[in-house]
Amino acid sequence: MENSLLEVQGLKTYFFTEAGVVKAVDDATFDVRSKETIGLVGESGSGKTVTALSALRIIPRPGRIVAGSIKFEGTDVLAKSEDEMRQLRGPKMAMVFQDPSSSLNPVYTVERQLSDILMLHRKLTKKEASQRAEYLLELVGIQDPETRLKAYPHELSGGMKQRIAIARALSCEPTLLFADEPTTNLDVTVQAQVLELMKKLQRDLGMSMVMITHDMGIIADMTERVTIMYAGRVMEATETKTIFHEPRHPYTEALLAAVPRVDQRRILEVIPGNIPNLIEPPSGCVFHPRCKYARRICMDNVPPLEETGRGHTVACIRWKEVSLKGV
Amino acid sequence: MLIVGFFIFVGLASPWIAPYPARSYASLYSGEAGAPPSWQHPFGVEPSGIDVFSEVIHGTRNDLYVGVAATVLTVVIGVAVGALAGYIKGVLADIVLGVTQVFLVIPALLLILLFARIFSALVFAGLGLTLIVLILGLFGWSSVTYLVRGEILRVKELEFIQSARALGASTWRIMFRHIVPNVLSPVIVVSTLNIAGFILTEVVISFLGFGDPNTSTWGLLINEGFTYVRSHWWVSLFPGLAVVFCVLGFNLMGDGLSDALNPRLRE
Repeated sequence: MENSLLEVQGLKTYFFTEAGVVKAVDDATFDVRSKETIGLVGESGSGKTVTALSALRIIPRPGRIVAGSIKFEGTDVLAKSEDEMRQLRGPKMAMVFQDPSSSLNPVYTVERQLSDILMLHRKLTKKEASQRAEYLLELVGIQDPETRLKAYPHELSGGMKQRIAIARALSCEPTLLFADEPTTNLDVTVQAQVLELMKKLQRDLGMSMVMITHDMGIIADMTERVTIMYAGRVMEATETKTIFHEPRHPYTEALLAAVPRVDQRRILEVIPGNIPNLIEPPSGCVFHPRCKYARRICMDNVPPLEETGRGHTVACIRWKEVSLKGV
Repeated sequence: MLIVGFFIFVGLASPWIAPYPARSYASLYSGEAGAPPSWQHPFGVEPSGIDVFSEVIHGTRNDLYVGVAATVLTVVIGVAVGALAGYIKGVLADIVLGVTQVFLVIPALLLILLFARIFSALVFAGLGLTLIVLILGLFGWSSVTYLVRGEILRVKELEFIQSARALGASTWRIMFRHIVPNVLSPVIVVSTLNIAGFILTEVVISFLGFGDPNTSTWGLLINEGFTYVRSHWWVSLFPGLAVVFCVLGFNLMGDGLSDALNPRLRE
């Protein structure tokens, strides 16, 4: 794949719990090119977040990467030592988390949280770091940065906290940013502002971004390509435009049918059932118990990720037979 | 804070500000034994000729020593064991917790009285206070352990720990820069309250006559005064007041600290 920044091949991340092995990510493959934004879509528990944590190698215990390869800028991430990884996290790859109210340390001021990283990675002096911290706050559109620097996280609104979390992730100008549902906990109006900001920053700083979300609206708005995940596996991956107009996987179709639209009055279709138990996932295609096109064959065979057209891959045995409608 | 500061000052300066040395029967010979409070003897004199004012001052030093030293001991053991219990998992963690629980249910006061009797040789060798500190410390750490463990478990799961890792912080950095500061403030607050608690326990031990009769403590004074409280009320009253104010002071300080250490209430 030409100029891929991040390449994930057959990634398997399992959690070894007392109840059994939870296959949070089970054979995920995707890539992120330089300066593009890709979307990682799926329901809660489909392995989106764990995929991102795997790339940064910060999976909480008892999770472990058991198979697959992750390449970043052509080097093998999984072969790196913990020290080398720490050099990567921050200056190269960074992450913005879902809940801004808990992703900032409550006992430190905004200034301290931002300058700590700069002093650690960039070896800036305290003064230089706080100047840069002020600049970063301006960058993420915070009014009156001087006073905000002295504030503690609880004194700020959710939107502002998320802006600070973004500023912190961007402080060392990473080439790749994982955004894990960055707007899920924000008001709708603030959501739009934060997304707009992220889009602008991504363009201005020329970085790549992995947008993790379950909101198809965000995908349409922000991303160039998209990877649909379900139960830890990749179901479909293609360009964002294609996914809306000609989905090839029944799960994608079902996701699209569950999105409300302003221009059509219709009853939203719900995907029947729940996301499967990841300790004992269904045999064959993991989606077959909830798929309206499922046949006997889907129960027995794990569908491979097949190339169905230029840059379009689908993991469905019956993709040629079923005709699906987009939006 | 002010009250505690005052007591600490008195405790530290006691050898210089007390008009008479500890356990000195000097007033017996001047014919002032058993005298009520006066300018000469602000808190009165015991029938045995001991100046109560001096004794209360010497007692301040000893009681503060017991309270602070025992608390330091509980914090050291409690934080170490708590951090261990919060960080490790599996069988070892269960064992650590089990041991902690055993210490939590032991009726410390009874054991202390028992130990004070068993080791009475030490008590008479002048090591009574050290013995009490050791016993209080060795039986009092489990509550700190529980607190620390619970806080670590809570803080460890918060997203900012993971986001610190995502930005390249090392394990040590996370432990000491992110987890410990978030755990420390409740420990400081509880420890302040523990000082008051330990002082009270010491008073009880001495009052019951299990302490060292040759070391000035408030409890010992109250004990001595107790036998003739109808005729010489001042012997028990003044050390009693000292206990009340000292404990009150530490409790107020605990409240104050819990406010001061809470970033939400910081200006």
